[in-house]
Amino acid sequence: MRMSETSSSRSLLRLSGFAVLPMAAAVALVSVLSGGLTDGALVRFANSMLTAFTLVSFVLLLTLVVYGDARKRPIAPLLGMCLSVAFGAGLTVFFLSQGELLMEDNGSVRAQALSNIVRFGTTMLGLAMAAVVVFGTLFSSLMGGPKRTIMFEEE
Amino acid sequence: MEEATQAFVFFWLAGLLVVFGFMVGFFSKVGWQRRFGAVVGSAGMLSLLATPWTLSFSPSSAFGHLLGSLIGPAVLLGVGFYQITFSGHVPVGRLTRTDRTIGVVMVLIGVLWLEAMHWWHLTPTYPDAVNRYWLIFWPTMLLGTIAASCGVYAVVDVVGEQRQRERQLMVLLAVFAGFLLMLGASSDGPNVDRNVFADEVLLAAADIFGALVGAAVAVLLFAVVLAVYESQQPAPTRLNPPSAAQLNDAGRTIAQNLRGEYEDE
Repeated sequence: MRMSETSSSRSLLRLSGFAVLPMAAAVALVSVLSGGLTDGALVRFANSMLTAFTLVSFVLLLTLVVYGDARKRPIAPLLGMCLSVAFGAGLTVFFLSQGELLMEDNGSVRAQALSNIVRFGTTMLGLAMAAVVVFGTLFSSLMGGPKRTIMFEEE
Repeated sequence: MEEATQAFVFFWLAGLLVVFGFMVGFFSKVGWQRRFGAVVGSAGMLSLLATPWTLSFSPSSAFGHLLGSLIGPAVLLGVGFYQITFSGHVPVGRLTRTDRTIGVVMVLIGVLWLEAMHWWHLTPTYPDAVNRYWLIFWPTMLLGTIAASCGVYAVVDVVGEQRQRERQLMVLLAVFAGFLLMLGASSDGPNVDRNVFADEVLLAAADIFGALVGAAVAVLLFAVVLAVYESQQPAPTRLNPPSAAQLNDAGRTIAQNLRGEYEDE
């Protein structure tokens, strides 16, 4: 049991490393080519993190409708996720209100918050298109290769 | 209608309908709810696509313009990959060789179309400059392709046997996306300057890492909320062990199923 847990966590770590490290290396190369990190990358990271937390919490709140079908519609998890969404939204507004801390090229807190949401939507669109290309290529290859038969050993 | 109300109805409400419609259509098991979700989601998507006309005063309408600009390549890639995949070894509903060829052509045109949006004059321009959301979308897609193909490479390595061809394809895809990133950061396109592109790559990376961290924290919190709720539920009542008569009945039923007749004692 413990060996299986260790093995699965190692696989997960390996998978995360494979997904993140090449991307980080590409970003580092682009950074070297362009002459260093651009201003506002940290601000963008923080805005993206807060927006993702709030919106993903909201989407998970919606999935509780499905969870509720199997569990006699409990109120407690629904309330918990409502609080999570409110916490994310409150945190976003609080940090955006601290002067120039998380503000980009927008004139007001509302404009910045709305701009963050549209930017998050664009990021999701880009990642979705990337997924279409990668999984499309993978499944085209898997289904298009030579037919395989499973050989059973004779008893 | 006031501009703020217009923006709320045609953009934000429409976006909410897309998310809600998608979730109902995807998760619901009831037929009419799935159809309702699809209709609501499509209506929201149409409203978002129409924002360059309905909300021309709002900067957010550039997002609707980007969606419209991406419909062509997205449909070509989606349908093309579908045609290629389902003309392979599928047990039912297998497509013909001609469908496969059409699929390959569609994918090639889709990829070339996307490339032409950066390297030729097809760059989405709204209203009179390069669409700001295109500058976010394109580096994000390239970075996402690198991350996803390398992740899939690792997964295929773990769960697949003799899948060298798929692994080579994933490496090829990652290298191709990386090459496009480097090329964009070192050469000017007809509409996008290399410095602007390099800045956008770094900002897109910040966006992706931020989104990953934020989403991970939200999922973790969701898991904690459910775990706490489930741990507070009373344990289910335990049944008494079966009596001799019940065991006898069960034995007789099993014997009947194994032999196909009642066992006479």
